[in-house]
Amino acid sequence: MNHMFRKRCFPRAVYVHMLLNDATQTELILSGCAPGNERRYKGTPTHGIGRWKYLLPKQAPKKKKDRNQTKQILSATDTAHGTLNVKVSGYDMTVVEHYSQYIHNLCNRLGIDVAESYALPTKSTEVMLVQDQGNKTYVDAVLKTHQRVVQLSSLNASLCPVFVDVLLKNQPEGVQLSVKEHTEADFQARFKARPELEGLLAQISQ
Amino acid sequence: MAAPCRKMASRSFSQLLYCFNRTAVGSVGCRRFSVTPVGRARPQAGPAVERATSPWTLMAAVCLQRLPVISADESPIEQRFKQMMQQMELEKSMLSDHELRLLEDADRMSRKQAGDYDSDEEEGHGDQEIMLGQDLEDTWEQRLKNFQPAPRVRADVDKDLTSVQRCLADSLVLLAEQQVGAEKLWLLPQAAWQEGETLRQTAERALGSVTAADLKATFLGNAPCGVYKYKLPKAARTESSVGTKVFFFKAVLADSAPAKAPNTALLWVKKSELQKYLKPAYAMKVDRFILSL
Repeated sequence: MNHMFRKRCFPRAVYVHMLLNDATQTELILSGCAPGNERRYKGTPTHGIGRWKYLLPKQAPKKKKDRNQTKQILSATDTAHGTLNVKVSGYDMTVVEHYSQYIHNLCNRLGIDVAESYALPTKSTEVMLVQDQGNKTYVDAVLKTHQRVVQLSSLNASLCPVFVDVLLKNQPEGVQLSVKEHTEADFQARFKARPELEGLLAQISQ
Repeated sequence: MAAPCRKMASRSFSQLLYCFNRTAVGSVGCRRFSVTPVGRARPQAGPAVERATSPWTLMAAVCLQRLPVISADESPIEQRFKQMMQQMELEKSMLSDHELRLLEDADRMSRKQAGDYDSDEEEGHGDQEIMLGQDLEDTWEQRLKNFQPAPRVRADVDKDLTSVQRCLADSLVLLAEQQVGAEKLWLLPQAAWQEGETLRQTAERALGSVTAADLKATFLGNAPCGVYKYKLPKAARTESSVGTKVFFFKAVLADSAPAKAPNTALLWVKKSELQKYLKPAYAMKVDRFILSL
């Protein structure tokens, strides 16, 4: 339709007057002088047709996760216990690990939130016996105590006796079970001591 | 695994805020617990408020369980499967240090008897030449023969219902004969609730009144695990007492010294024997929370 108008070479003022109803066509003809400068798109008319991310609500930038202390230690409320540590320890590693896996699966089934499930370092105990003839002791056996911890973030008080009863009834032989509250000291005990850092801190404080 | 031995590796349980250590030596069928309460999460006893008195009498009872001491016997299928798994593991496993030592010793013996044996060429195995692997095995065999395990099942103790050491492979529940209304009934030890105490404290009081004072028990939680409602017969009902509600609390037996003669008659029964002693309606409610695992 534009081409038809241009061929007739109407003066511009007349154009404006005549095409006042049609706003878009007015704009096109007023601002552009030569036909080549009338593009409003980059490459093709469909440029950026697939853009959608600008429509999403703005998100705060993701902070880098703090490696230490990712989970808060919950305290007990009126109806639920706080963060609990269920520690399983024993000499036989397969039994200890299977029992801790059983506890973890039981929590999943009962809907108890499991915050973490980790292992504490193995402790080796040497059993020394006194020889029959003489006073010298010799190494009889090396016993390794393995420990696994299942940390529960909260335990409903009404579920607690049932849960503990089931754990006790399914406890295998040779395995010790301990249920305690999680403390900051427990958390710090998992880290290695850094002697140089402690030395420097001592120097600074002196 | 199913070693017929009472001196098994200790199996102890620590409750939160309580410490339980069971040492294998000592009493049979009992766990020695040490109780170190650390600030219990006790629900606040509210200020004396005008409460609408309900027509129900509240009571709390304790379900005291003695957990199994030895593992249960295996069924024939379980035994066969266990043997098969052990055989498979043995065949798949690698040689242990002791087995390697035996092989080395046998190898060295054969080399010694070969004829052109130069003992200087051997590496320093001073200790191993004196004490061969075979000798070690012999000493261990001797020690095993000297060890006498206790019998797993003692028929006479099993039949004695008042003994806490009967049926070591099952979990037992404590029953007491108490006067309820006009008759004596066998029930879980119970006591009436009084103002100003929590139901759990009532349950502890019930246990203390029925058994000897040194029977240590650990309660598994502050919340009850079951409830039994008893409506008085129509003739006995009044405005203020329609019936009683009994709330049950679970507890686990800690190490018990040999009981002095208790004031009331006590029984330790398995779940299967409960039916004989409890009333049917009561037994139905109690069955729901006693786990027979």
